[in-house]
Amino acid sequence: MNRSSEQGPEVTIRRVGREDVDFVVKDMDLALANSFRRVMIGEIPTLAIDLVEIEINTSVLADEFIAHRLGLIPLESTLVDNLLFTRDCDCDQYCDKCSVELMLSARCTTDATMDVYTRDLMVTTVSQYNNYDNNNNNNLGQPICNDQEGKGILICKLRKHQELRLKCVAKKGIAKEHAKWSPTAAMGFEYDPWNKLRHTDYWYEEDANEEWPKSANCDWEEPPRENEPFDYNAKPNQYYFTVESAGSLKQHDIVMRGIDVLQKKLAGIIFELKVLDETSEKSRLDTEFQGTAYGQTPNPEYNWN
Amino acid sequence: MPSTVATASFNTLKREEIFRNPPKDKSAWPLLKQAVAPHVGSFNALMDGPDGGLLNLAVKDIGTKTVFDSNEVGRLGNKFNFRIAEVQITKPAVSAKDKTTVNRRVFPSECRERMSSYRSRLILKFAWSVNDGPEQFEYREAGTVPIMLASNRCHLENMSPADMVAHKEESEELGGYFVVNGIEKLIRLLIVQRRNHPMAIIRPSFVGRGASYSHFGVQIRSVRPDQTSQTNVLHYLNDGNVTFRFAWRKNEYLIPVVMILKALIETNDREIFDGIVGTETSNSFLTDRLELLLRTYKSYNLYLKQDTLAYLGDKFRIVFGATPDVSDIDVGKEVLQRIVLVHLKDNKEKFRTLLFMVRKLYALVAGDCCPDNPDAAQHQEILLGGFLYGMIIKEKIDEYLQGFKAQVTSDVNRKMAVNFEDKKYISKVFMKINENIGQKLQYFLSTGNLVSQSGLDLQQVSGYTVVAEKINFHRFISHFRMVHRGSFFAQLKTTTVRKLLPESWGFLCPVHTPDGSPCGLLNHLAHKCIIKTSASDVSHLPTILKQLGVGSPDMLAAGPSKCCVQLDGQIMGWTSHENARRVADVLRYWKVEGGHNIPTDLEIGLVPLSHGGQYPGLFLFSQSARMVRPVKYLPLDKEDFVGPFEQPYMNIAVTPDEITSDIHSHVEFSPTNILSILANMTPFSDFNQSPRNMYQCQMGKQTMGTPGTATVHRSDNKIYRLQSGQSPIVRANLYDEYGLDSFPNGTNAVVAVISYTGYDMDDAMILNKSSHERGFGYGSVYKVEKVDLSQKRRRGDPITCHFGFGQDSWPEQWRETLDADGLPIIGARLQEGDPIAAYFDETLGKTKVMLYKSHETAYVEEVKLLGDDAGENELQNLTVKLRITRSPIIGDKFSSRHGQKGVCSQKWGAVDLPFTETGMQPDIIINPHAFPSRMTIGMFVESLAGKAGALHGMAHDATPWKFTEENTAANYFGEQLKEAGYNYHGNEPMYSGVTGEELRCDIYIGLVYYQRLRHMVNDKFQVRSTGPVNSLTMQPVKGRKRSGGIRVGEMERDAFIGHGTAFLLQDRLLNCSDYTQVNVCTDCGSLLTPQSTVPRIGAQSKIRCRRCATKLVPGGPFEEGQLWEDGQGTKFVGGENTSTIAIPFVLKYLDSELAAMGIKMRFNVEPK
Repeated sequence: MNRSSEQGPEVTIRRVGREDVDFVVKDMDLALANSFRRVMIGEIPTLAIDLVEIEINTSVLADEFIAHRLGLIPLESTLVDNLLFTRDCDCDQYCDKCSVELMLSARCTTDATMDVYTRDLMVTTVSQYNNYDNNNNNNLGQPICNDQEGKGILICKLRKHQELRLKCVAKKGIAKEHAKWSPTAAMGFEYDPWNKLRHTDYWYEEDANEEWPKSANCDWEEPPRENEPFDYNAKPNQYYFTVESAGSLKQHDIVMRGIDVLQKKLAGIIFELKVLDETSEKSRLDTEFQGTAYGQTPNPEYNWN
Repeated sequence: MPSTVATASFNTLKREEIFRNPPKDKSAWPLLKQAVAPHVGSFNALMDGPDGGLLNLAVKDIGTKTVFDSNEVGRLGNKFNFRIAEVQITKPAVSAKDKTTVNRRVFPSECRERMSSYRSRLILKFAWSVNDGPEQFEYREAGTVPIMLASNRCHLENMSPADMVAHKEESEELGGYFVVNGIEKLIRLLIVQRRNHPMAIIRPSFVGRGASYSHFGVQIRSVRPDQTSQTNVLHYLNDGNVTFRFAWRKNEYLIPVVMILKALIETNDREIFDGIVGTETSNSFLTDRLELLLRTYKSYNLYLKQDTLAYLGDKFRIVFGATPDVSDIDVGKEVLQRIVLVHLKDNKEKFRTLLFMVRKLYALVAGDCCPDNPDAAQHQEILLGGFLYGMIIKEKIDEYLQGFKAQVTSDVNRKMAVNFEDKKYISKVFMKINENIGQKLQYFLSTGNLVSQSGLDLQQVSGYTVVAEKINFHRFISHFRMVHRGSFFAQLKTTTVRKLLPESWGFLCPVHTPDGSPCGLLNHLAHKCIIKTSASDVSHLPTILKQLGVGSPDMLAAGPSKCCVQLDGQIMGWTSHENARRVADVLRYWKVEGGHNIPTDLEIGLVPLSHGGQYPGLFLFSQSARMVRPVKYLPLDKEDFVGPFEQPYMNIAVTPDEITSDIHSHVEFSPTNILSILANMTPFSDFNQSPRNMYQCQMGKQTMGTPGTATVHRSDNKIYRLQSGQSPIVRANLYDEYGLDSFPNGTNAVVAVISYTGYDMDDAMILNKSSHERGFGYGSVYKVEKVDLSQKRRRGDPITCHFGFGQDSWPEQWRETLDADGLPIIGARLQEGDPIAAYFDETLGKTKVMLYKSHETAYVEEVKLLGDDAGENELQNLTVKLRITRSPIIGDKFSSRHGQKGVCSQKWGAVDLPFTETGMQPDIIINPHAFPSRMTIGMFVESLAGKAGALHGMAHDATPWKFTEENTAANYFGEQLKEAGYNYHGNEPMYSGVTGEELRCDIYIGLVYYQRLRHMVNDKFQVRSTGPVNSLTMQPVKGRKRSGGIRVGEMERDAFIGHGTAFLLQDRLLNCSDYTQVNVCTDCGSLLTPQSTVPRIGAQSKIRCRRCATKLVPGGPFEEGQLWEDGQGTKFVGGENTSTIAIPFVLKYLDSELAAMGIKMRFNVEPK
């Protein structure tokens, strides 16, 4: 790991919006920064509807189509850590420990078209983790309705006598498996706005500087001086992140949990390496081979650093 | 921003309003109705129009037939005249058998869902008279004929969109097709020779017609008022003679032209000479030939009109089936009336036009004029579906009358009581003949085969109808604009007929033709091209022409030196060439100006005098089936209509900029008028290499899009549907005018042009897995399974099967997909072998089920119960509509709108994909190598325009030829990108999703409208390890449906050998095919004689060669152990030298076949 700075990476939060946060990370290796980005997009557990049991669907939309729409609805997942992954749970299909149940029941009785929104989804699991005093805001599995009217997302439209009645089972999962579990929308990521490292090559007709728009992050770094010699040893050091939440988690939760997941993954690797080392050491001892210290690899050609 | 470029709009609110509340007055998109107008208009003309429509003209043309009630020689007996006085077609209604229905109208949607035909009664008014007495009438039902939708015989005619929706149709139902057995069929437009205009032809095949025939000819396709036609050809013989050829009932006849001339009017040689030579008596080429023409005719010794007619009548008596009471002269007259220049009524007119044709033939031979090109639009018109339909009805009515006559004649011959005065006898004759004309038309529409005595003057017998497939709306609408050259030309080896000729500019689209075998033969009409379905009123034209100084047709004038003025093939008079130009100019000015009683669509074809060019003259056309198109007439700045005959001699500027005074008389309204509807939908097609636009026209029709909005009321076998179609950001303005947003055909996708991970090589493309998971390109296929219980019994047998479960015991798991009524549950998931309907079979007393047979998992969408036509029997039919989900998977085909198709080769998750600084990720990645050789710059421009549109929240107009060299598209959209803070050229720096490192160069990324094509791996993949084999050869069967194998053919075998992969070769050709182990006798080498012995108790069966063994002679010597016994108990000794070898089974089969012919095969097996 990069140890260019003794204090570790330095974070500057530039702007916090309603759903997004914009921050700069300094003194970090590119590989780590990208891992961080990847983890935030793909590996933070959230809650999303995974199973739909349709009791009645006389709407114009097909069952699987509605199920797909339901799956993409962001559900409040701040307390998702209290749930188990179904694969780790000892239940058969799903239970209260690994899932949240939601109900949707709508029937149009008027001549006007009825719109079914996400706010019509009712969480039916009585969970010990939910804090009912707190305006239902943090209730696990509550659909996010961030629009002005608080209706949420339109699921389906019903005409007179059409009915939609179904039970949804929301499960914990990560976006690597399905995009519906992704807590993020677009994830901005940039480094080296002046292209001093010459990682890329701007195509131009006459003058690259004229033709290419300046990145907003240019203000945060020194522009290259004229006739500055190219430092071929330089490495990217400063990264500009924009994290936008899709709704299920607050943006700061995404960042914090991203760090957490990444740490756990690394810890997992270190642990496995240790195990590997111990076993190989044992086998080495068994074969009367010269023992090596921890951290060194049994195969000298393969360098972990 | 440059002001010349219009910006398109999404019109979201307007569209939603129209969709929610369909207009109650008129269509929101009138252009669509115009697209099918040729079909509907031509069908309407059958019953509407002057003299009661084409069908009533047709029965008038058929005329009266006569039959006598005696076959004695010398006595005719009573005379019976009969004819059809009138034809009526009603509107579709329920059958008269059904007594209970109150609303008796039948609507097309019912026919689609019930898989029946939309048809109505054809009623003929049969008139007869006995011995020329008073006429009597009877109305005869001639079956039910299929009716064109939205025509004047359809209930949907003039319905508002709101009414259409109320009657379960699309809000913009266009009609123009028929519903036959639930399938939508249309009669396709066919190109035929321009009517009533003699065409000079040089055709080598003419030489083979007989001795001294040359390759010169003049041909005219003469059209009767009822739109049936008769082709007349004049042949030039090498000696200078001219013969007249025609075909009648598929037989060809040749007559000297002078005989026709002399039969037409009372004339003399002088008049004929003058009419052909005119004043050019010094032209010895002409006078020599005329002398010979007239001189050789002398041998017939026919001078008077009556003599000639009698001669003709005598020869054609049998052919025309004339009755004995008609004189030869009258038969001769009928020949002239029915055969010679049938577009003209008057014999004097026919005489003049025939003289003109002879002169044109001589001019062609002398080289004074060039041959006319039959492949050019100038000499073509369109055979419209409705007209063809009318021609067939006419012929069938004629056959019906002939059948009546034949029945009476056979009654007379069989000495049955024939009494014309007795009404009972007449109805008995009706009983015996086939009156069902409707059935024949139904056959015509469902097969496209023309069963005809006369051939209808057409060159093909099949392929007249096509299914109007509703794969998506683009394909559907294209069917109605499709024009075929004729299947006869498809077999021609030469490519001349397929060439794109400049004459078709503005009439046939240069882009929209398929590649492959129908290329150039199957064209599409330009979207502004109109086909006339009725004749224009030209009754004032003769007076106007006279005013303009056109001389009388009787004046002494002939040949190209004078200008012949013709209106629809009738000679109106002669004038000088200078005056002809003036006449043409004035006519055009007057017709555009209006108020001069000249129709705007009159075609004024002025062919100027030239040296060896087209035969000159002023040819006016006013009749139907012509192509015309609107252009702006400059002197008046008003709309004029031009036709393909006049266009080559006109100067029409393409853009206002190129108008040069003194040259151009017209200017195009828009250069896009030359393109078909579909070709206009290709964005920025002017930036693309032209074949790419052709490919897009094909792929637009194969797209999984939106077939329609009334799909619940349809029962098509297969419907493809894209669930998340979008309105394209970049589209031509015509897209909105045609209302194509009601039928979206694709999705706006973020496309990056980059070579990434190698999975986008060779037209493969990478799909964003997360986009796919969010619903990108998601589609469904709807299939309809028909369950018909009446197939379980013979016709007429009582019903023994009833839907539902019986009282007997049946497996409980059937109820998993079936409801208590025995019908499938809506929404049930079906897999192969699941029941889709249960029924109780009375005869067996058992409940049975129909099974779902396809391999693919499906969901039940709809169940429809179908009653029978009369509504009197128990329900025996139902259809089950199944929904098969088709989420995009690896191997599915996608394409942009620029002929850039690709197959999805990999789905990468969002984390692995490249991203821009703002975090945008592509939905689709395509390889940059797809561009240099294909030069689809239009796709780059679309990407740029799409990106600019998305950033600024607006749609962009992509109509071709809107940008110029000075005002480029790249600049227009580049400036918009710049304004939004993006790079002017559409590039962006991107980062690798895997390493986070900035990619070495910037990437072209933008928004392109992507279509998902209907070719999907799920319909195509074929794989097998073991499976069914052919019982005769034991080799795997072929065919995907039967889970067969794919043949390793000879060329594949060659490749295996070439690669030296012997083991693979053996594996494919033997082990995985018909590998068998057989026994062979090592002594005699026979495969066929070794057999298993019948073992003794406690012993094992052995293999012994029956041929090498000898029968045990009772008491004969044998060694214990050598004795064996066959199935009959016969004992044998010997034949123990057998062994087992591996061979392909066909070898054994071959041996058996050879043995049957007495040929023995011997195999030398080693070691012995």
